Amino acid sequence: MPDAVISASNLCVDVQTKKILKNVSFNANRGEVLALLGGNGAGKSTTIKTFLGLMKPTSGSVWLDGVDVQKAPDIVRQKVAYLPESVMLYGHLTAIENIQYFLSLSGKDKSETEIVAALQRVALQESAWRAALSGYSKGMRQKTAIALALLREAPILFLDEPTSGLDPVAIDEFNRLVSQLAAQGATILMVTHDVYGACHVANRIGLLRDGEIVGMFDAPEQGNIDSEAVHKAFTQGVVA
Amino acid sequence: MSSTVFTIARDEWRYWRRSSLAQTVLIIALLLAAASVWVTHAAISHTTEQRQHMQSESITAFEEQPDRHPHRMVHYGHYLFRAPPPLGSLDPGIDSFTGNAIFLEGHRQNGATFADQKQSTGLTWVGRLTPAYVMQVLTPLLLIVLGFGVMTREREAGTLDFLKVQGVSPLVLLAGKGVAMAGAGLLVLTPLIIGALLTVLKGAQVVPVLTFILSYLIYIVVWCALVLLISTLARSNSVSFSGLVAVWILLCLVVPRIASNTASVMVASPGKLETDFAVLKKLRQMGDGHNANDPAFKAFKDNLLAQYNVDSVEDLPINFRGVVAQKSEADLTEVLNEFAEQQMAQQQSQAVIARMFGWLSPMIAIQNASMKLAGTDLENYQRFMREAEAVRFEFVQSLNKLHAEGMSLEQDANKYKSAEARKAATVDAENWQMLEEFQFTPLPAGQRFSNSLTAVLQLLFTAGLVLAFTYIAGRRV
Repeated sequence: MPDAVISASNLCVDVQTKKILKNVSFNANRGEVLALLGGNGAGKSTTIKTFLGLMKPTSGSVWLDGVDVQKAPDIVRQKVAYLPESVMLYGHLTAIENIQYFLSLSGKDKSETEIVAALQRVALQESAWRAALSGYSKGMRQKTAIALALLREAPILFLDEPTSGLDPVAIDEFNRLVSQLAAQGATILMVTHDVYGACHVANRIGLLRDGEIVGMFDAPEQGNIDSEAVHKAFTQGVVA
Repeated sequence: MSSTVFTIARDEWRYWRRSSLAQTVLIIALLLAAASVWVTHAAISHTTEQRQHMQSESITAFEEQPDRHPHRMVHYGHYLFRAPPPLGSLDPGIDSFTGNAIFLEGHRQNGATFADQKQSTGLTWVGRLTPAYVMQVLTPLLLIVLGFGVMTREREAGTLDFLKVQGVSPLVLLAGKGVAMAGAGLLVLTPLIIGALLTVLKGAQVVPVLTFILSYLIYIVVWCALVLLISTLARSNSVSFSGLVAVWILLCLVVPRIASNTASVMVASPGKLETDFAVLKKLRQMGDGHNANDPAFKAFKDNLLAQYNVDSVEDLPINFRGVVAQKSEADLTEVLNEFAEQQMAQQQSQAVIARMFGWLSPMIAIQNASMKLAGTDLENYQRFMREAEAVRFEFVQSLNKLHAEGMSLEQDANKYKSAEARKAATVDAENWQMLEEFQFTPLPAGQRFSNSLTAVLQLLFTAGLVLAFTYIAGRRV
C-alpha cells in the first residue's frame, strides 16, 4: 500500500484492442499539485477516469489515500472532488440549485450563504446565480463546477482541463485557488495541455505521450517549473 | 440511502416541472384520466337510470295489455335490463360490446342488445375512452413519452459519470428515477383510484375494489420499470424512445391480437349464421308447437290421454293446445340451451387460451383482472344470459300454463270464427301481473376475487421479472 495520496502503479488501460495507458506510474503526496501534460489522445482523461473508478485498469492499480480504487470505489469517491473537462451539470437547474443538488447527493449540506460565497470566490457574476445553466457560457459552467468542487471540501481533487473556456482573469483566479487549496493540504491531480498554466501551479509535471509517462519535471524549492524546458519537451519530444 | 433516493426523485420531478414536454404529457394524462372517469361514470349513471326507467316502462306496458289470448302475450314479449355493476363505470369490459338488455319472447333466445359500441357512430370513437382503456393502453404510452430519457438523458449529458463520482451508485440513481416515475404513474392513476373508492358508496364490495386498485398499481409499476429498464439499456434518447414504443406496440397491440387469433384458431367456433341454421334444423325435427296435430306430438298426446284416462283431447280437463305449447317450449328451450351452452363453453375455452397470453403481455393481464373484478367479464355476461333465459322460460311457460288452464280446447280452436268466439278465447288482463323487477345477481365478491387471482399473479410475475432485469441492468451501468 503506497504512502502517497494519489498513486498509480504500472497502470495499463486497454479500450477494446487499443492500449490507452501503458505502465503508467506516479505518486502525488499530500498538499502536492501534480499536472499530467499531454496532447490530444495521450491518455490524460483516461488516467483521471481510472482514479474515479469510471474505467477499469487492464493491469496495474490506482490508489487514493491508501485505498485501492477498484476494490472500494464508493469509499474513495467520498474523498474526491472532480472537475470534468466538459462540465456535467444540469441545464434545467440554476447554479445554486445544481450545487445544492450535487452536495446533497454527496451528503454535504451547505447553506445558501456558503454557496453564494463560493460562487463569489470563483467570480461568477451575481446575475447568473439564479438563472438556468442552459443559458450559461462554457466558462460560467466551469466556474459553477469549480465552486461545487470547492464546497465539497474534498482532500483530493481531480481537474480535467480546468481552465478550458475560462477568460484570462478567471484563469489567474483559478490558479490562485488551486495553490490555496494545495497549501491547505489538498492533493491535486490536474491534466491539461496548457504548458504555462501547469508550470504556474504544479509542484510536479508528468509528460504523457501515447499512454506513457515520458518525462517528469519537479519544481525547484523556490519558484515555478521551467516552462521553456517543459514546452520544448512537450512540442519536440526532448526531455532533459 | 433513502434520502438520496428521494432527492433524486424530487429532482426528476423538478425537471418535469420545468420541461414543457413533460408538463404537457402529465397534463394530458391527468385530464384524460379524470375526464374518462367522469364522463364514463356520468354516461353509465345516466344509462342505469334510463334502463331502470325502461324496465319499469316495459313491465307497465306488458301489464297494461287488455284481455288477450295468452299466446299473443308470449309473442308480445318483454324487455329485461341489467344495471351495470358499480365498478363497471370504470371498466365496462365486454358489456360495451355485448349490451345489457334482452328482449324475451317465446320460442327464441335473443342475444343481449343496446351495446354502447353498436350505438356509436364513427365520430363517437371517444366513447371508447373508458378509464380502463386510458389506463391500460394510453397511460403506458404517456409514461414512455415522459420517461424514455430518464436514464439516457444522464448518459448523453455525461451527468451519469458525474453522479457516480458524487458517490451515487447506479442502483440508487435507478431507485430515485423509479420513485419519480411511480409518482407520475400514481398521479395519473389518482382519478381511477378515487372513482374506484367512490363505487363502494354505490354498493361495490371492498375486496374487489381494493384488488382492482392494486392491480392497476402493479400494472403502472410494470410500465415504470419497463421504461427504466429500456432507458438504462439504451445508449441514447432516440434508441430508448423507439425501443419503448416498439415494446408498447408489441405488448398492447400485437400480443393481444395474437392472443385472440390463437384462441379462435385453437377453438374453432361456428359463426352465428351457421349456428342459427343448425338450431333451425334441429328444431324442425321437433314439430311445430303452434300445431297440436303435428305428428311429432303423437306419443306425447297418447301419454297424456293415458294419464287422464280419456280417449280424445277434447275430453281432457285442460286445453291440449296450451299443454302442447308448454311441451314444445320446454323441448325447444332444451335444444336452444344445448346450443347456447356449447357456444358459451367455446367462448370460455377461447377466453382461457387468450388469458394465458397474460404471462406475456401485462396489458392482457390487467384487462382480465380489471374486467373480472368489475364484474364485466365473459363469466358475468354468460351468467346474465343464463339468468335472463331462466326468466324467459318461466315467463313463457306461465303464459303457456294460462293457455292450458285459462280456456277450453273448443274455445281455443274456434277463436277465429267470430268476435264473440275470439273474446271467449282470452284471459283476464289481471293475469299479466306476473312480471317481477329483474335483479341481476353478479358473481359474489369472493368469487370475482378468486377468478382474478391468475391475472393478478401474471401482473406480479411480470413486475418481478422486469424489476429483476432492471436491477441487473442497473448493476452493469
